[in-house]
Amino acid sequence: MSDKPIIRETPGASGSGLPGGIFGEGTPTFLTTKVDFVVNWARRNSLWPMPFGTACCAIEMMASAASNNDLARFGMERMSFSPRQADVLICAGRVPYKLAPVLRRIWDQMPQPKWAVSMGACASSGGVFDAYSMVQGIDTIIPVDVYVPGCPPRPEALIYGLIMIQEKIRGESLGQHSRHRAEDPADVGRPRADAAEVTALSGPFGNSTNQNRASGLVPGIPTVRPGDRIP
Amino acid sequence: MSREEGSGYRDVPGPADDTGALVSMPEGLERAHPSVPELQARFDEAFLRHEVVAGDEHVVFVAPDRIYPVLEWLKTDPDQAYNFLSDLTAVDFGGGRPIQIVYQLYSIPHRHVLRVKAEVPLTDLEVESVVPIWSAANWLEREVYDMFGVRFRNHPDLRRILMPEVYAEGHPLRKDFPLRGRFSRAEQTRRALAQAPEDYYVPSDFGPGRDFQVVGWQEVGGEPVPVKEVATKGKAPQPSEDGSSGAASGDRTSS
Repeated sequence: MSDKPIIRETPGASGSGLPGGIFGEGTPTFLTTKVDFVVNWARRNSLWPMPFGTACCAIEMMASAASNNDLARFGMERMSFSPRQADVLICAGRVPYKLAPVLRRIWDQMPQPKWAVSMGACASSGGVFDAYSMVQGIDTIIPVDVYVPGCPPRPEALIYGLIMIQEKIRGESLGQHSRHRAEDPADVGRPRADAAEVTALSGPFGNSTNQNRASGLVPGIPTVRPGDRIP
Repeated sequence: MSREEGSGYRDVPGPADDTGALVSMPEGLERAHPSVPELQARFDEAFLRHEVVAGDEHVVFVAPDRIYPVLEWLKTDPDQAYNFLSDLTAVDFGGGRPIQIVYQLYSIPHRHVLRVKAEVPLTDLEVESVVPIWSAANWLEREVYDMFGVRFRNHPDLRRILMPEVYAEGHPLRKDFPLRGRFSRAEQTRRALAQAPEDYYVPSDFGPGRDFQVVGWQEVGGEPVPVKEVATKGKAPQPSEDGSSGAASGDRTSS
């Protein structure tokens, strides 16, 4: 018989006899990998979406849940209209600043573990609505796992995005999850990132950079560039 | 597209050619509007000018300080009876020009359409509210106030309707308003998440029968906060004998 131990003892480990406790850090052990496998299998096959539909993307989201595309095949058995029973937030459509605290509160109300899908161009980047009233990407408000491009994306694209969430769950470990997604109650209701990151995320890009209201229509009003604005 | 025979509108010119440009009616062939001559005779000092645009759309410009009696007469006079306010909006042409307030009227009994405009200078954006004439003007005037900053005297509840209650960047549809707002995106995001919508709205705000009225504003921690007065008259849930409908109405008004 080999004297190589299956579970290595680490000095100073907790009473479980495992390095850093059962779900702790360190080398994944036989027990934790098996537990991870079972838990992740259960999680990724019973993802309940929280639909946050505000625009035309919501129509495609409804089509994804209807018979032809049937999201229930992948475990999204039930659209959970209560955030308390939801696992994955699907933000489908444009989000104005007036709606930002609502989106943030729904995300804060969802229990851990939770994931977020940003569906469509508007939710991901503000889309064509680079204006005074519109959030330029919901990743300034909440953390986003998968961005689904499209205007609006087809149901196949949304299903692909949700399968990507499932693949992400497959690679997760319990210890990892509680470490990466731990929440600070003081952060509730605050922007997800600091001011510099929010500005970088929501700045104009592409052709939008040179567009502004004072485009020759109004003589005598100076051009307002994004950098000129009041911080 | 063919117009219905006998509708009386066959002589209205449509797009002349493929360019889509509308041809204005030749001089002298314009159909007289049934209300305009009488309006001019009755309110001579308030009647500023009369235009016909897009073929047969009659626009009457009225002095802004006389807009209320003119519109009241158009509503109440049995020969006019403009009892339907289709729209109330405003136009800012920029360049320091006055803002036009547009009243789009329709007379259901007589089937007449009339557009009345009042031009208010940017230095004095104030006009009398027409809510006592048409209740439909309530939210429309709030929208014009929110987007253009025009104040309506004697409006029952003049506050923002589209932008958040604490919005501090101005009135977005004015031509001097920068497209992306006055604050940086980071500041806009911070302010958006710091707002507490439940301080300004209750569920009954979105249905009939609000249960409070904003009677004033006070400064709390540098932010404007409305002073509310709960109107209990007829709004308290009346439990029925079996208590079912009373519970339902209680759900609607509780925040």
